[in-house]
This record gives sequence, structure tokens and C-alpha cells, in this order.
Amino acid sequence: MKKKTVQIAFLLLLLMISLILFACAKTKSMVTLHPIELTAPPLCSDCHTDDKTAMDHTTNYITRHKFYLAQNKQACNVCHKEAFCSNCHAHKDELKPSDKYKSSPEMTLPHRGDYLVQHRIDGRLNPASCFRCHGRQNNERCATCHR
Amino acid sequence: MKRDNRLRIIRNSPLVVQRGFIGLLVLSLLVFPVASQASSVIGESNTYVQSRQAADGTHILGAYEYLDFLAQNEKNEDVTFNIGGWLRYDINGNEFNKRSDTDLQYGYLSYKGKSSNTIVNVGRVMVSEGVAAERLDGVYARTDLVGNFGLSAYGGSPVEYGIDLPGDNVIYGTRLTHQVANLYRVGISFLKEEKNSQDFRKEEGIDLWVRPVDKVEIMGNSKYNAVTSDWASHYYYLVLGPFANVRLSTEASQINYKDYFIGASTSAFSFQPGILDPNEKARILGEEIAYDVTDKVSLSANYKAYTYTIAGHAQYFGGDVKYRMTSSSGTGLSIHKMDGGTDALRYTEYRAYGYTKFGKLGLTLDVMDVAYAAPINNVKDAYTVAAIATYDMTERLRMGADVEYSKNPDYDKDIRTFFRLTYKFDTTSGTRKEGM
Repeated sequence: MKKKTVQIAFLLLLLMISLILFACAKTKSMVTLHPIELTAPPLCSDCHTDDKTAMDHTTNYITRHKFYLAQNKQACNVCHKEAFCSNCHAHKDELKPSDKYKSSPEMTLPHRGDYLVQHRIDGRLNPASCFRCHGRQNNERCATCHR
Repeated sequence: MKRDNRLRIIRNSPLVVQRGFIGLLVLSLLVFPVASQASSVIGESNTYVQSRQAADGTHILGAYEYLDFLAQNEKNEDVTFNIGGWLRYDINGNEFNKRSDTDLQYGYLSYKGKSSNTIVNVGRVMVSEGVAAERLDGVYARTDLVGNFGLSAYGGSPVEYGIDLPGDNVIYGTRLTHQVANLYRVGISFLKEEKNSQDFRKEEGIDLWVRPVDKVEIMGNSKYNAVTSDWASHYYYLVLGPFANVRLSTEASQINYKDYFIGASTSAFSFQPGILDPNEKARILGEEIAYDVTDKVSLSANYKAYTYTIAGHAQYFGGDVKYRMTSSSGTGLSIHKMDGGTDALRYTEYRAYGYTKFGKLGLTLDVMDVAYAAPINNVKDAYTVAAIATYDMTERLRMGADVEYSKNPDYDKDIRTFFRLTYKFDTTSGTRKEGM
């Protein structure tokens, strides 16, 4: 009980400090919509010279996009709607992203072709790559065998 | 809580999800006519029909509707309503033992302030903040603070699949960041999830992006599991370039199994002999070199070395070439080899594809072959050939169909067909690229 009280008091203190610091911050918010329509995949460095150049959508950007997302999702939302994320990162889905985007073969997407057999090898070598999407979500299809 | 309890699987009631999705749809349909004169809506409807044979031989004919939209008041763009979800009806049988199914992927009211990058989202939200990559029914908020600090916080009921326990299921967390523009952004974060009023996950982490000099970037994160009191994972990348159209990416990662694979809702990640050893530690070192030969031609080569405390080692390497003739036509070739410790963990993957457009008609051909080092079910090669055609009926309406033929260790002859109809609606003159 005492521990809970200390925790609540700490959170209230943190909230108060945050409100004071928030009240003093006067930064201008990021735009909510990119001012120019972009053709995919965009190279931000074509126009920007600041830290936005780190988000150049080069061929291997897909392997690093999780870092930018975890740090500044707001920047992603300037061009991408929420549906763009959830089309692949689903709570529950029965269709593979590679089926939904089959007419875009240049996209880097997992599970193309017969992944049923291949997942037994990839999953054994790097199960963490499966866990991120199928650990606690989107594993209804996994559960048909992994009961 | 005992690990056994964490892995206890209690199926989500589909009714709860269905009611939530239908409820939000009804709510939005009620709100829109009232607000339609002042509101703008952008979104997309994707209707799919997939025909395939299930592993047990039954024929599945699933009809899907994926719907998402973003609505806002044109006079007050700070507030938006975002919703996305899908419904499925199996015309021919019971896919996943259910004739129909639904899911609400997200649905929230959002406020974005004009200053301090203040955001408040309420509803079913997706949170990506440091250690958190979560979906929850609750509240997410973030704001800039003085001195280049930033703060975010979230809380609610976790939206996961198959692991809701009786009683309280709560998730909450926070992240504090500091940044110097163009130089670095660093964050520390905390996440706690309780199930049945007991600790289920307690994670702490650090994330960073640093650009000490031009053309040099370091990014990554480390996650600490406060339940097992050890580091769960470290993921770091060093990106160099471009130097004369060459970019180099180096990856260094480590995953500690006993601290990482916690709270899974499928037995695929349970610590069992022959599946996952809790004492295993995997280290991954990778390098990728990408070279843009011209504006249209790019080459890349990559290599990943996996070393394990218990299992030995493996490596994955290969390369690809891409030729992008126009924005709607191009071709690509790739070869990759997975070289595990035994023949059963070795394969070579070949892929070739091409896509082009003739006016409103788009055509794509995609061929893949996976050659296993050791035959599986007496099959040495698994191949898949997919042919796809799309037709732009109007600027907003596109239809398409594809046929996929494959032969693999599970199917002598597997034919799948897929029909799609995409309609994009946009009542504004905004510049967000449709479909993105």
C-alpha cells in the first residue's frame, strides 16, 4: 500500500513538472501533411539537408524503418496514413501483405511464395524476426499448428 | 505470475471484436451525415476474394472488405478521426473454423496541436515509442518540453491476440527524449503490462539516433526485461554514405532468448526442447552494400552471420539487381542463400520479377524458386509462379486479378486466385499520396 502511494505521488510530481515544462515550450509543430506529393520511394535528401535525410527510402530502408518509427512516428505520418502501417503490422489478419501487394513485386515483403515450408528454417535461425509480428498478435494462422 | 499462466491461451471472443468494429462503424456513419458539410474524408476500400486450398484439403473462398478512412473538419484540421478494419465471409466453408470474422485495426480521435508537437489520441491506438510497439484501447499523448526534451505517455487495455486473462488487463508506459537537431535524438522508455492484476511485462529501454558527421549515422535500441532482470535485446545499425552512389549498412544485434521471448500467445515461442532453448543467445552481424549504378539500375549485396551460444552458427548472404525503367515498370533478379548448421537448415532462393503498364492495364510476373539442400517430403525444389493483372477503371477505381501456381513439399499442385477491387475516396485537395 505504501509502495503504491509512493508510486502515485511520484507520477503526480512527474505530471506537474511535465505540465510546467510543456507550458514553457514554444516549438512549432511539424506539418501534418507533406506539402508536395511524393512519388514512392522518395529520397528526402533530394530536398532536405537536415536530419530528414536519414529517412531516405533507399532499397534497404525497410530494414531500418522500425528505428525511425520508434523515435518519431509523427514524421512517418506526414506521408503515411495509419492504414499503411496496419496493412502489414496487424493485430489480426488472414491475408499476407505479399498477397495484398502482389502487383508491387519490387516491395520488400516477407512470406512470398511458399513460406509455409521456409518458415521452419527461418524461424529456427532467427525466431526474434517472427516474434515481433506474431508473438502476441496476428498468430491465428500460427496457432492452427502451434497449439 | 508463473510462466505457465503467461502462456495460457484463452481465445478472444470474436463477438467483442465484432461489436467494437461494428459499433465504431455505426458511430462514424451516424456522425458523418451530421458533419458532412464541414468534413472531409480520405480513405480506401479494398475488396478481395481469395480462392485457395487449405492444408486439410478444404476449398476456401474468402471474401474480404478492408476499409479505412480519415475524417476531419475542414475548419479545424487539428482534430481528425481515423478508423481501419476488415470483415471476412467465407463463401465456401469455415476458414479458421469461422464462417465470418472481423477486426478493428485502429480507430481513434486525434488532436494535433499547432505548437509543441502535441498529440492526443483516444481510442484504439497504435503506439510506437521506444520499447513500445503496441496496440491498445486507451489514450496516447506526447508533447515537446523546454530544452529540446519531449515526453510521451500512454495507457489502456492491451489489444493482443489470445492472451486475455480474467480480471484486469492493463498496459501503460512513457518515454522521455532529448534531441539536438541534426546531431542526435536519444530516448529512455518504460512499459508495464499487467494481466489479471499481476505483472506480465516490465520493459525498459534506450533508443538513439546519432549523426556525428555528415554521411555517418548510428541508430538502434536496447531493451531490458525487468521481470527477468537481464537485457532482452540490442539492435544497432551503422549507416555510411552515400559515397559516389554507394551506401553501407552494418548491423550488430544480440537476442537473449530467456528475456526476449516472454508472454507469447503461441506455443511456437515456448521454451520447449527442440523449439526454443531459454539459455540460447543469438548474435547477428550483417553488412549490406548498395550501389546505384545509374538512376535506374541498382545493385546490392548483403551478408548476415548468426552465431549462437548453443546451436552453432549460420549465415545468410546474397545479392540483387533492380532495373526501374519508369515509375510503373521495372524488373528485378535476386539470389540468396541460407546456410544453417545442417542440411535441413540450408536453402538457396532465386527470384525474378517484372512489371509494366500499358495505358490502364498493368501486368506483373513473379517467379520464385527455393532449392533445399535436403529434400523435404521428397521435394528438392519449391517454386511459385504468379501472374497479376490490374486495370485502372477510373482514377479512383482499380480492379485486378492474379493467379499463383506453386509446387512445394506440402502441395503437389497449388493454385490460388485472388481478385481485388480498390476504391479510393478523397473529398479534399490535400497532397497525401493516395494509398500510402
